[in-house]
Amino acid sequence: MDAAAIPSDLIPPAVRARLRALRLTARSSAGGDGLGQHASRSRGAGLEFAQYRAYEPGDELRRIDWKLYARSDRYFVREAERDSPLTAWLIVDASASMRQADAARKDFSKLDAAKTLAACVIELALRQGDRFGVIALAEPAPLLIPPGSGPRQRDRCLLELARLRAAGRWPGADTLRPLWDRIRPDSLVVMLSDFFDDAAADLALRLSAARREVLSVQLLSAEERDFPFTGAHRFRDPETTAERRVDAPAARKEFLERFAAARAGLTRRLIAGGIRHTEYVLDESLDAPLRFFFAQGGSR
Amino acid sequence: MSFALLAPLGLLALAALALPLLIHLVRRLELTTTEFAALRWVAERVRPRRRLRFERPWLLLLRLALLALLALLLARPVLMAPAAPTRPWVVVAPGVERSAARAAVSAADADWRWLAPGFPRLDDALSSERVPVSSLLRELDADVPAATALTVVVPQELAGLDGERPRLAHALDWRVVPGRMQGSDPAASATSVRLAVRYAADAEATLAYLRAAVAAWNLREPHRYELDAEPASAAIPADTSWLVWLAPSTPALVQWIEQGGIALVAGDADAEGEPIWHDGQDRVLARRLASGQGQRIALGGAFAPSDLPIVLDADFPDRLLAAFAGSPRAPTHAPAAAARPLQEAGAAGAEARSLAAAQPLDAWLALLVAALFLLERAVATRSRAQAPA
Repeated sequence: MDAAAIPSDLIPPAVRARLRALRLTARSSAGGDGLGQHASRSRGAGLEFAQYRAYEPGDELRRIDWKLYARSDRYFVREAERDSPLTAWLIVDASASMRQADAARKDFSKLDAAKTLAACVIELALRQGDRFGVIALAEPAPLLIPPGSGPRQRDRCLLELARLRAAGRWPGADTLRPLWDRIRPDSLVVMLSDFFDDAAADLALRLSAARREVLSVQLLSAEERDFPFTGAHRFRDPETTAERRVDAPAARKEFLERFAAARAGLTRRLIAGGIRHTEYVLDESLDAPLRFFFAQGGSR
Repeated sequence: MSFALLAPLGLLALAALALPLLIHLVRRLELTTTEFAALRWVAERVRPRRRLRFERPWLLLLRLALLALLALLLARPVLMAPAAPTRPWVVVAPGVERSAARAAVSAADADWRWLAPGFPRLDDALSSERVPVSSLLRELDADVPAATALTVVVPQELAGLDGERPRLAHALDWRVVPGRMQGSDPAASATSVRLAVRYAADAEATLAYLRAAVAAWNLREPHRYELDAEPASAAIPADTSWLVWLAPSTPALVQWIEQGGIALVAGDADAEGEPIWHDGQDRVLARRLASGQGQRIALGGAFAPSDLPIVLDADFPDRLLAAFAGSPRAPTHAPAAAARPLQEAGAAGAEARSLAAAQPLDAWLALLVAALFLLERAVATRSRAQAPA
């Protein structure tokens, strides 16, 4: 399939229809340039009056409220609450573990789900005039699309996403540092990963601690949730290629307990770090995490 | 009905049964390889247990049965003929009248047969083919099931015997009725023998010994031997079988011998040949030597008791006949009472005899093996189609 030619195919029509009810919102509105739909704490040129403040050298002359000057013989600058565009960053984990798919639906891997979720967020951002950028942590070098807006930016992002293949391991700190600088404070960061590598959670926590609003989705396969295997299996870790020979039914109970504990621990850690976190299992509806984050009157 | 194996070592092929067992066992131990990213939460100590369970047990059973049958086929199984009692057989030797035989044996539902090749029914005509009686008796013994009672009706005088009394597994009811078997002995049916004697005048007195010998021969085989005693000057008739030359050697004699005759020549001390007669002191009395196509029996001295003491012995006619006719044959004629077959009690004999009546099962087994093979292929391919690897 030539995915590059029709990148909008990433989003199933049913999901696309339900996207209309969603709005990309940030808990702490960020400032930026231009007009946007997001309430901003930063003051500046805008429509909604916020306050007057004394003129300071360097302020634009056209922003001085001349009527007030006539009354008070002082220069005041009229400031408005600025509706500023949001910058949404999509961080997609493209390590080999994201190749995981269920036996029942082999052509729908975690990465596919992540791509679709990312495409949905991009669609939302585009509709609201927000800026968006994509970071894919893929081998050999991470993919970075600087934030921008408009349909061209969307097409570019979708094209790159469609081309993305899951391989390799979670990149080291050296690779991540330049990305870190690109994500400016008060951006909205949507992180799509399976969070099997602790470094992923660390990255999310550091971004959150540094005043980026982080939304994280842990992508799980139904087999990881249910462990439905029968008979003896040789499980292979796609990232480390480590193997473990296991009698599946005997290992099921312990795996479910340990895995549930790990997920609960991750959720606790992320929430404690101020991150809005949800899980998405591959057999669930794709817009469930989107509704969790962006539904009107939801967790805003 | 019983069952036997002709080559029990073929059952060693049963060791091949281990092969499908191993194959199905190994398959069982093969693990499904699954990519699983959440590997670190899978406990390592829950190793797969090596359970002794076989995959696809029906296919395994089919394969085991197939191999077992193949091993059985290698062991060459035979099915013994049923040992159910059959009608008693009454076998009548040629030379016995049918009526006489029926009178001698009172068997109500017996199977009457000729003692002839193929054992034809008594009502059928007897073929002219002659097979020695001993051989027929042994064949009869092998062909007739052990449980069948055998009665053999033979004439008083039996021909076609060999040197040994037949040893049979059956206990024969040996009935002797008056009669005489037609001579199937080639010697007995041979034409009469003409013994020519050519003698010098001084040897005429010794003719009595020769006459006595020929008379002894004729006593055993009446009118067979004819003595033709003439002076040495007389010609040798063309139908002369054997010649006794009691005169100095002549070219006519030498020529007759070299044309294939057998002659006893007296006074031929220089001859070298195989010694045949000795006296008590190991002195060679007669030698046999080939001469042309014929044979010369050379006497060292005269044909007289002085030089040849054995002419006075009681067995001289036999020795003379043996010298002319070659090695004595085993008697083929005997009174029937003396030729009664011996019963052999050995189990080996009975087994060998019963094996001859065994019915080989190879063809049926091979058919069964082929059918099983087809079934095995069908099952194997079907389950493969159901569960693609």
